[in-house]
Amino acid sequence: MKNIHWIILGIIFIVTLALEFTVLAGYDSHWWNAIPAFYAIFGFVICYALVYSAKFIAKKIVNRDINYYD
Amino acid sequence: MIEFITIPGVILIIGAAVISLFSERVRPVLFLLFPIIAALVIITRPEGYTVNGSLLNYELVLMQTDSLSNLFGIVFALGALVAGIYAFHMKELGQQISALAYAGGALGVVYAGDLLTLIIYWEIMALASTWLIWARRTPETDASGMRYLIYHILGGGLLFAGILWHSVVEGSILIEAIPMEYTPANILMLLGVAVNTAIIPLHTWLSDAYPKATHTGTIFMSIFTTKTAVYVLIRMFAGWELLIFFGAAMAVYGIYYAVICKDMREILSYHIISQVGYMVCAVGIGTDLALNGAAAHAYNNILYKSLMFMAVTAVMYSAGSSKMFHLGGLYKKLPWVLGLYVVGGLSISGIPLFAGFISKGMVIDAAGYGGHETIMLVLLVASVGTWLSVGLKLPYFTWFDKEEFNGELKPIPVNMYIAMGLLAFACIFYGVFPTALYTFLPFETGYEPYTVYHVVEITQIALLTFVAFWFLRKKLAPELTTVLDLDWFYRKAAPSVRALFVTRVDNFYDRVEDGILALADYLSKKFKNPMLWLNPFTDKRNEASRYSPSMEVVMSFIILSFLVFAIVYLV
Repeated sequence: MKNIHWIILGIIFIVTLALEFTVLAGYDSHWWNAIPAFYAIFGFVICYALVYSAKFIAKKIVNRDINYYD
Repeated sequence: MIEFITIPGVILIIGAAVISLFSERVRPVLFLLFPIIAALVIITRPEGYTVNGSLLNYELVLMQTDSLSNLFGIVFALGALVAGIYAFHMKELGQQISALAYAGGALGVVYAGDLLTLIIYWEIMALASTWLIWARRTPETDASGMRYLIYHILGGGLLFAGILWHSVVEGSILIEAIPMEYTPANILMLLGVAVNTAIIPLHTWLSDAYPKATHTGTIFMSIFTTKTAVYVLIRMFAGWELLIFFGAAMAVYGIYYAVICKDMREILSYHIISQVGYMVCAVGIGTDLALNGAAAHAYNNILYKSLMFMAVTAVMYSAGSSKMFHLGGLYKKLPWVLGLYVVGGLSISGIPLFAGFISKGMVIDAAGYGGHETIMLVLLVASVGTWLSVGLKLPYFTWFDKEEFNGELKPIPVNMYIAMGLLAFACIFYGVFPTALYTFLPFETGYEPYTVYHVVEITQIALLTFVAFWFLRKKLAPELTTVLDLDWFYRKAAPSVRALFVTRVDNFYDRVEDGILALADYLSKKFKNPMLWLNPFTDKRNEASRYSPSMEVVMSFIILSFLVFAIVYLV
């Protein structure tokens, strides 16, 4: 990833935030709409949680040697 | 008669028989012809068209069309066509016949108007698809194919038992929505359909068999079995609340395995379970929007999931491995395959302007606005996992990670590119023009995918998931492992069960047989010459044939008679 890629992603993110706080300011369909940038936080936190919990499950329970069933 | 042979499922099954008569040069072309004819028939038949027949006392509805069956019918016919293009270079007759019969079975189920017709096509699908696993002809795939077949025979048996019970209780075999009553007949039918839908914990046939099927076989398998079952669920079990929870559980379960697995085809196979979970969940919610979402998501899923399977199969065909451990750094050598895969990956992750966006949002909204906010969040967790596993991890470790792929690459046939190109076009087309799909959905809901809220929602999730993936990518680095699933119970139990019911029984019979043979041997030796023990004083070497009674025998009888008389007298 080059810096330019990060800058593009950053700009897109800022645009989504701008839309959230302007166009969607009064939007209230779900309880989590009150939390600013909820979906961004959700994506980041859930991704971390998924990776670490999947690693844990893999290591402790499901991963075996490649020839396990042979 | 003419009506019967123009039933779409029958057309493909006849096609499977007809192609066997032609040479291997003509067969791939003929293979494509039959799905085209089926698609034309589907387009030209009006809604409400029926073909009736009878079997014993049962009135059968061999074909029945409506918007739902046409939606699935057309995507199955086109799916078979594009998969046929992808497999154009593959000349093996057995696989061609079974793939076409399999597609015919799926189309047959979709247009079946009664349960007996349905179960016949259902079993055709199970049998035909098994060959797509066995055709690899390795001990591993032989065993996997057998497990797959047994599982589907079990599922078909449950469904058939349910159908018979249902027909006795209800007096009808017509396919219609079943009210949510947990009667034995309904439970048996639901279990039978649940096997083909890969509802956990009945999903292990899929994750076991799909990664092991032939190169082109997996493509066909990813299209038909689970989507046919979703169709039957929509038709018969809409609004069964139990399905909401099982669907949500499938969506997350599949994701976990897709994150854990390191084999491209395993990742995509588990991901089918996750995607079908969305559909099952939507069927359980049962509102018009949810059922539209289930149907639209099944339709789109066939497009982008088969595109992704085709791309990874092309890599596997070219590089010789589906394990990401052996891959990496392919972006310079297989850039087109990467591009086509990414279209599938963006579609399945529900990124705006791609097909998944217009259907996945429908399912998630149906949960959120149908009073199931927790389920909506669970489905959003699965969305993060989808983007993480098949949108980022799989392409990153296959095409990037290393500077360059060092192994030999086999050229990829052009027909594979054409098939992938067609699907990629369809993914973008439906993403940009959602009404092209919405027009054909069974219900009028006025759903609008391109709202600011939807776009902001998915863009924020995708961006920040990407950032988290970038920080954590080393934790997902490929390694060579076997990943255990619930099939462990019967795969590991198999040796003990075999030992108990086969080996021990065999050994017991062996020992009994040995004992009887030894006894027979002993008795035959003893009775070969009874005179040897009737007359202990004789020469042991005497043989029966040359023996003549002598004085010894006479003396023996006199003494024996004397003894007998003496005993009688004394007593």
